[in-house]
Amino acid sequence: MAELLEQLAMCVERGKVNASSPYPPDLKGQDGADELAKRALAEGIPPDDVLSKSLMIGMGNIGQKFSENKVFVPDLLMAAKAMTTAMAHLKPFFESGEAHHRGVFIIGTVQGDLHDIGKNLVAMVIEGGGWKVVDLGVDVSSEKFLAAVKENPGCVVGLSALLTTTMVNMENTVKLVKEYDPNTKVIVGGAPLTAEFARKIGADGYSPDPQGALNDLSV
Amino acid sequence: MEAMTSVERIGNILKRQPVDRIGLFEHFWGDTHKKWTTEGHIAEGEALDDHFGFDLQVCWPFNTVAKLEFEPETVEETEETILQRDGNGALLRRHKLHDATPEHVDFLVKDRDGWEEHAKPFLTPDPKRINFEAFRDARKHAAERQRFLCWGGVNVFEMMHPVCGHEYMLMGMLTDPGWVKDMVDTYAQLTVDLMEILFAEEGLPNGAWFYEDMGLKQRPFMSPDMYREIVQPGHRKTIAYCKAQGLPVVMHSCGYVAPLVPGMIEAGIDCLQVIEVKAGMDLVRLYKDYGDRLSFMGGVDVRTLYGNDRREIEEELSSKIPVVKGNYGYVLHSDHSIPDQVEYESYKFFVERGLELGTY
Repeated sequence: MAELLEQLAMCVERGKVNASSPYPPDLKGQDGADELAKRALAEGIPPDDVLSKSLMIGMGNIGQKFSENKVFVPDLLMAAKAMTTAMAHLKPFFESGEAHHRGVFIIGTVQGDLHDIGKNLVAMVIEGGGWKVVDLGVDVSSEKFLAAVKENPGCVVGLSALLTTTMVNMENTVKLVKEYDPNTKVIVGGAPLTAEFARKIGADGYSPDPQGALNDLSV
Repeated sequence: MEAMTSVERIGNILKRQPVDRIGLFEHFWGDTHKKWTTEGHIAEGEALDDHFGFDLQVCWPFNTVAKLEFEPETVEETEETILQRDGNGALLRRHKLHDATPEHVDFLVKDRDGWEEHAKPFLTPDPKRINFEAFRDARKHAAERQRFLCWGGVNVFEMMHPVCGHEYMLMGMLTDPGWVKDMVDTYAQLTVDLMEILFAEEGLPNGAWFYEDMGLKQRPFMSPDMYREIVQPGHRKTIAYCKAQGLPVVMHSCGYVAPLVPGMIEAGIDCLQVIEVKAGMDLVRLYKDYGDRLSFMGGVDVRTLYGNDRREIEEELSSKIPVVKGNYGYVLHSDHSIPDQVEYESYKFFVERGLELGTY
């Protein structure tokens, strides 16, 4: 069992999606995350273990390497693709209650801003960290964030902005969410942001990279 | 030294040869020009280039969309955004009320097959892709002001992602590098072919300017090895053509691209622009590492202008300009563009004080 989970984690980390995927070249023809996740569940490995002892390990490893600039966006995207493929096999177990997310993470790019690459990278890594991700998309109003918070008690909120002209819209969203529930954690990220700005607008956390955002959620 | 014309000054700056002062150029969000005009600082119809006396002018005369005659199809429209399918087969959502990069919603080109069906066959050097009149006017306008004119356009990285999106392009670099290399070569050849047609018809500009956003916060999109293997051949081809015409090359990139700079120098760039501080770029560090081989434009943290506090602007300028003017290879420019929250007087101070510090 341990070997299968280890192999699955490796496929996620290296972005080996399925047996027909030509990437990475040295694993060509071998089973990928798709087949291995299916086999793990068929062999009776608890879905929570598939998630926490394999998929999360694989994504955690690639996320850490990304933070350290040892791998780059293409590698992270491929890992996320492999992880998503494996997660599809876990979906019925999440629905039946046999598998559990670590929490709900609501993410979106703030109002006025249509950038989505950074937000998508963060969403991928956090989903790979075992969280259920509710992606509200781009150009998301404060009211829409608040509505999602109301629908998902106990969630954590992530706000993204790429522009100096739109990051100011984060403050209103943080304020609205905190007025509704001061205990709802809000983290922020994006090119123009700093930890100082995050503190100033009352956010609970700031990270310059996706793995840091995931680590913030675990605190 | 006697005052130089902008053509002389920028020409020397790009070769790191003695000049009277550092150069001056800037990009603005569209809203800034409107606001300063409404406030009466800029005359109606007056260009910011003329108002502040910029040394450069960039003319972007090419259209490299795949299907040139395709009329954008509106799929959805709200009060603030519009979702359209364009001639590249890309479904993009744009903001109607202000300048912003569009959201990538979907693409017809997701892999090699899509590329070969929906884009590559249409990317021919059709003269209809060139706005000859705009380039002719820009040449005349620049010549009258003795301003350094750059042909401007995007290079291969910025031409690929509008067709297939960043995610498919970047994953393709791993899963099917041959496909991405084919896109690189196709767009590089198209650029060279169109330049040949334009310059034969209208004459040469003074330089070339490639926009090529290859960075995110604290990291480039791709590794330096991947840059050298896949993207650099396109840069080498386009830059070699420019050099053969005697045109120095400025390359713009937003985001953190410091690890790619050695490869960009190998490809032949003469000047790196815009050196985005908030993404992690460090102008002084770059100057120390590459100032003998490369000129720089930008790298002054635009956030120091947001507060409209002259002491903050002064501190930023005086910590950088006296250092980076050392090799004569610097053009004053913010590290991105000036938004409308910057007051006219603050930007004016930035220019005046920056040039004062940058006078030799």
